[in-house]
Amino acid sequence: QDSQSRLSGLKLSGDQPIQIESDKLEVRESENLAIFTGNVSVTQGPTVMKSGKMTVYYAKDGGSAATGSANIDRLEVDDKVYVKSDKQVATGDRGTFDMKTEVLVMSGKEVVLSEGDNVLVGCKLTVQMKTGLAQVDGCNKGTKGNGRVMMSITPGSQKK
Amino acid sequence: MARPIETSGGGSGVAVDTAIALATSRADAFDLAARHSRRVRFLKLALPLAAVALAVLFGGYTYLAAPPSIQVKAEGAAFSEGKLVMAKPQLSGFTRDNLPYSMTADRAVQDPANQGVVELLGIDANLPISADNIAKVDAVRGIYDREGNTLNLTEQVIVKTSDGMVAKLKSAYLDMGSGAMKSDEPVEISLDGSKITSDSMSMLDNGKVVVFEKKVRVDIDPARMKAAQNGSGGGSAAN
Repeated sequence: QDSQSRLSGLKLSGDQPIQIESDKLEVRESENLAIFTGNVSVTQGPTVMKSGKMTVYYAKDGGSAATGSANIDRLEVDDKVYVKSDKQVATGDRGTFDMKTEVLVMSGKEVVLSEGDNVLVGCKLTVQMKTGLAQVDGCNKGTKGNGRVMMSITPGSQKK
Repeated sequence: MARPIETSGGGSGVAVDTAIALATSRADAFDLAARHSRRVRFLKLALPLAAVALAVLFGGYTYLAAPPSIQVKAEGAAFSEGKLVMAKPQLSGFTRDNLPYSMTADRAVQDPANQGVVELLGIDANLPISADNIAKVDAVRGIYDREGNTLNLTEQVIVKTSDGMVAKLKSAYLDMGSGAMKSDEPVEISLDGSKITSDSMSMLDNGKVVVFEKKVRVDIDPARMKAAQNGSGGGSAAN
């Protein structure tokens, strides 16, 4: 079973400047992709994403991967993912972000979504970045998880 | 090898029409120095300017496998301090895909004792990337090594392409044989509102792979990018 919460902060707005930093960037023009590795951090407005590695897949049609101006198809983030925005923080092992559907999916042995003291733990977090609607799915039985999402709500935190 | 003849004054405009090993007999030397002709015939010497032009094309844009047709001109060459100094060497030709390219330098200096190396000062090249995209390359100074087929641009290099990309490098080392380029100093590449900076960069395999390292930072300004992309298509001045 899953549970939903509104991740209002976690929105990627289309035209706010984005800043990406990393130790290394490899652009493979013919494969239309760019691989950031080492202390990768992506910032847009209040939203920050950090990970060990991020691969950017460019749409085939225009711009050039070498200067980052091509339009981006999707991002794949690996090696531990941390996403923070306003009040919410989400962590997991990997993540993918589809720029067209604007859906962020984070997965891993333990995906944690927390807002203040409220914590949701499961194996998959899906966030509709347009609306901020986040859904955490439990670990399915196969991975000895019990399929349920652990949720802890700290009394009193609702009254904030 | 005959010691190069010191010519007094080293005036320009000396017509040079034989291979660089000019130090023929003493009489010829006087004759060359004495003759004063504005019109400079093509240099038969295959000063490796042709290769230098190819080299100034960054790895990403080199596409010159077959030797293109080349024209070498210079406003004048003279000996000074034992070196052959050529004023305003110009080089133009056509690439494999029949696109015109040209390169000039303020001066080309070659030591007859070491003809494998040419020093170029004030390099200015127009190199076509595609039919409608020309790269204008300005490099303060470059050392071309013929055997190694390498060009070491030891000072600032600025590349501007007609599609609006601007690349600024403090230096760049080009290995034309393998189509590789490397710079161990800060680089900045910008286009249509997106910019990449890092403290080192290398280009492999004729630009198919470009690697930025050390403090890589990419700034993307989607609003400006959209404006540029549907505006005049990249004509906007990069920041």
